[in-house]
Order: sequence, then structure tokens, then C-alpha cells
Amino acid sequence: MTKLLNRPFRAFTVYALLVLVLSVPVYYLVVDHIWLTELDEHNHIVKTRIEERLADRAFSNKELNDIIELWAVLQPGTQLKRAVNVRPDSLYTISREGFEQGLLETDRFRGLSSFIYINGEPYHLVVETNVEEADETLLAIALVTFLFFALLICGFILLNRRIAGSIWRPFWETLEELKRFDLNSQQEVNFPKTNIEEFEDLNAELTRLIDKSTAVFNQQKAFLENASHELQTPLAVLRSKVNMLLQTPELTAEQSQLVNAIEIPLSRVSRINKNLLLLAKIENKQFETNEWIDLGALVVESIELLRDYISDKKLTLERTRFDHLVLNCNVTLVEVLLNNLLINAIAHSEENGQIMIKLDGQTLTIQNTGQVPLNSQMIFKRFVVASSEKTSSGLGLAIVKEVCSRYGWTIHYSFVEQRHSFAVTF
Amino acid sequence: MKILIIEDEKELAQDIKSYLSNESYLCELASTFQEATEKIHAYSYDCILLDLMLPGGDGLKILENLKSANKQEGIIIISAKNALEDKVNGLQMGADDYLAKPFHHSELAARVYSVIRRKQFDNANVIEQNELQVNLLSRDVRIKGQLVTLTKKEFGLLLLFLGNKNRVISKGALAEHLSGDLADMFDNHDFVYAHVKNLKKKLFEAGCSNYLQTIYGTGYKWEA
Repeated sequence: MTKLLNRPFRAFTVYALLVLVLSVPVYYLVVDHIWLTELDEHNHIVKTRIEERLADRAFSNKELNDIIELWAVLQPGTQLKRAVNVRPDSLYTISREGFEQGLLETDRFRGLSSFIYINGEPYHLVVETNVEEADETLLAIALVTFLFFALLICGFILLNRRIAGSIWRPFWETLEELKRFDLNSQQEVNFPKTNIEEFEDLNAELTRLIDKSTAVFNQQKAFLENASHELQTPLAVLRSKVNMLLQTPELTAEQSQLVNAIEIPLSRVSRINKNLLLLAKIENKQFETNEWIDLGALVVESIELLRDYISDKKLTLERTRFDHLVLNCNVTLVEVLLNNLLINAIAHSEENGQIMIKLDGQTLTIQNTGQVPLNSQMIFKRFVVASSEKTSSGLGLAIVKEVCSRYGWTIHYSFVEQRHSFAVTF
Repeated sequence: MKILIIEDEKELAQDIKSYLSNESYLCELASTFQEATEKIHAYSYDCILLDLMLPGGDGLKILENLKSANKQEGIIIISAKNALEDKVNGLQMGADDYLAKPFHHSELAARVYSVIRRKQFDNANVIEQNELQVNLLSRDVRIKGQLVTLTKKEFGLLLLFLGNKNRVISKGALAEHLSGDLADMFDNHDFVYAHVKNLKKKLFEAGCSNYLQTIYGTGYKWEA
């Protein structure tokens, strides 16, 4: 993943690099052209001056011969020779090797080859001027260009940071607010005011979306609570009728077994309903009163309550480490949490299995022996029955999860060494 | 003994009435707030079963009225609300017990029995059935004057049976009586057999007649 601002930054950098690299030969061509034009002009001026001065003085032929002899010695950079045939003026560029401060160096020269008439005789005049070598020019331009490129990049980075820090601030704040939002806790979402239209739009839409989801969520919760509430009375009547049927004196053995068979699914329905109601109540923030509780004592109480079911399945219960842990929370909810975890362990153990309970610092671990690992993604979801066990209401662990999230505790499932392990960190 | 059943669900009220009614209990019904208030002021009862959600008013209000009128009736709240707050409020306002719907009739009968006993026999609270004597205060059981040692659960079962004479009690109801709400979470209540068997054995060995009948596939019945 890359940050949004790094995308254009990268593109800008590549583009700047491209433009600057392309500019190097262009600069070079332009500079070289200017150089050569200027030097041609210079050479021409020198030639004109020589021509004019030689014409002004009106040297004799003998003097002229002396001058030409001396010329080669006194005027490096120009040559003056008697010409045999006259050609039009020409320009040329030439590289020559020569020693400069003891080093062999190649120098570039721009030359003007011209024919002038002195005392009516044609002379060949060559004017040469040193030009900066092509590679040196190129190097200098490239260096300067890269210096500027480096400056550009530094500027980009600084600007990028500043933009990210200031312009995007409303966005980060909105994001933080969204991260904090929890549909369950229903606290108000306050997006920061901003004068940037796009962010204001985003915030407005998000607020709308959240309000709508919250409303739907509340409706659903209310529905759940009402539905399970409404079911309570018919269930009570049903149970009552079954009870009355059981009291009829003429009941045959066969009939009483039928009645008994009705009781089992009936208690399953009332169990599911009770659990749904409990879930709805936890979600609706009932069970508000908190008190200080000794977790270890509650675990022991819960074990005692379930003792019959434990011995019924011939399970061995092992309590290894048992630290002292005091929590400030609702005692009913913690009882529900402990009972559900223990019931889960009992219900999913095979006969003669083992249950291990450990309270290590802030973490309560309840393990039971088992064969196959459960799907840890699904077990805390409602009505996801992880095993073929019919007793499960499919809600026990969902309730445990709900209680945990209510207090910000974490629950973790793992399967090691043929043991299901549920660890709650308070 | 007179019992007033304040319950708006007629079917349920009728069933409770016919379950509880016997030679010693006389039951009356009230299905609205108004009706209940009138009956309470006109007559006196030994025990009142109070549903909290009534047409015409809140059941807790009736409780309040009873207490302010200094009535001595034993009051058991029977509610579908099952909310902890209701339970705590109800008990704090002077109700004697709280039972969440749906409940087993046997459980209700046991609670009614115990509330009435508590109200009527403050000190010498002893239940007697022929050779069997149960002291509710000291929680000891004697057969022909001989002390029988029962576990807490066996004692609980014995009280349940005594409160439900000649009624069939299902295994589920027994399990719920022993483990409370948690019994709901299991389908298998086989451990009930073990406790009942032990109770039966202890009573029999001490010379008690066999009052406890096993109803095949269903549960038990205490005959008296």
C-alpha cells in the first residue's frame, strides 16, 4: 500500500527527471550554437581589423614579407600566408592536442579561413579562437541540471509533508472518528468542521450512513428483545399445559413418554429464547450496576453449580494456577460468562474427559479435551453450532463474546494438544 | 389456605390454580390491575402470586400498596421479564420470592409451600408426615425420631416432593430445582436419578415407608 500523496509525488518526480534530462542536450545545443556564432563574429571582427590595419599602413612588399615572417611568431591564433589560389571564406571547427601545464589536453578551436588582398596580392588569413570543449559544456550543464533536480525533489518532499499535514488533516480526523465508532456503543460521531468541500461532503454522507445504520441496528435490537419477550408467555403456557398433562391420572406409560419427549425440545426453545433475551439485554446496556468481584470465588461457585453435570459425564476437573483477580463489573454478566464457558466445556467434552481451569494473572483459561479443532472464525457467531452436540443453543459463546466486548476484554480460542482452549484476558 | 393468583394470561392462571388446588389450598384468580387491587383490599390471603405486567397497571404498584397497607401476605413475583432489576426491586420492596417464567409448576408449588410455612410457623416450623419429620429451620430430617443425614441437594429434593404431594414431577423440573437456571442449558439430567436414588435409599434404610414413586420415563411422585 502506498500513501495517496506519494502517488502524484512519484509521478511528479519522474516527470521532472524526464524534462530535466531532456533539457540537458537542448541546453547544450543552444549554448554551443551561441558560442560558435559569437566566435564566428569575433573571428570576423579580428579578420576585418587585420585587413583594415594592413591596408591603412600601406606597407612595402619587403616590409610585408618581414611582417608575415614575424606574424607566425607574434600572433598565435592567426596565420597569414601568401595564397596561390583564392577560395571563398570558410568556417570550421577543429580539435588539437597540445600540452598545457604538462598535461596532454585536447582543445577545440573555431576557425575562419579567409582570403584578403594586401597591395593587390592575395593572402590567406586564418583566425582561430579556442572554444570550450563540447564534453566540458555538456558536463557543466548536466551538473547544474542535477543540482536543480535535487532542489526540486527536496522541495517536493517538504511540500508533500506540509500538504499531508494540513490539507489532509480533516480527512485524518474523520478517519480517527470512524475508527473509534462502534455500532454497539452508540456514542455520537462528531466529524470535524472543515472548509474543504470534498471533505464536508464526505462527512455529511458518513453521518447520514451512520445515522441510518444506527437506526436499523436499534430497530433490530428492539425487534429481538420484543420478539423474545412475546415468546415468553406462550412458552410459559405451553410448559404449563405439558405439566398439567403430566398430572392426568389416566396417563399411560406410552403417553407419559410422549409428554416427556415434548419437554425436551420445549426446554430447548425456552433456553434459546432466554439466551436471545439475555443477548438483547446486554446489547441494550442493561446490567449497568458494577461492583468489585473476586473472579476466583465466582469460578468456584460456578463449578459447584455445575458439579452434578461434571460428575455425570465422569469428567475430571483440574485447577492449576489460581491467582487472585478482582474486577469491577456486573456480577450477573460475569456469572453468565463463566457459566457459559464452563457449560460449553462440559457439553463438548467426551465422557471421562478432562477440564482444566487456570487463572494466570489477568487471563482465565478454560480447556477441555477434544478431537477436532473448531472454526475459530465462526464459534463466537450466533447460531453457529460447531459440533453435532444437540444441547447447544448456538448462543452461549455469542453471549460470552458480547460480555467480553462490553468490558473490552479479549477472548481467544485455540486448539493445542487435543484440547480446546478458551482464554479470556480481563 | 387462600392463594390469590394475579395473572393476566388466563390459561396460565387456570393451570396454576388447578395444580395448586387441593384439600389445603383454595385459589382465586385476578387478571387485571383493577381486579387484583379490589380483591386485595376486600379479602386477605396467605399467599399472593403476582405477575408484574398487568393490563391496567404495573404489578410492582400492587406490591407497594400491599406493603403500605401493612398486609402480611406472602408474595411471590412470577414474571416474564426476568430482568435482574425487577427481581432486585421486587425483593427489596418486600416480595418473598421471585420466579421467572416459564417455570415448572412443581417449583412454584414448592416456593408457595415454603413461603406459607415461613409466614405461619415462625419458630416451630416442622413438617410431619407419619413417621417423617422435617425441621425447616434447623434443616434436619428425622424418621421415628432418628436423625437422617441428607446432603444439601437431597434435602432440597425432599422439600420439593413435600410441596408437591401426589403430583408428578418431571426430571427437568427436578434438575431445575437443583441447578437453577443452569439446568436449562443441558438436555441430559441423568444425575437427578443418582440424587433421588440416594434420598430414597437413605429414607428407606431409616425405616421410612416408600412414599416416593417412580413414574416410568417421566419423573417421580410423592404419595401421601
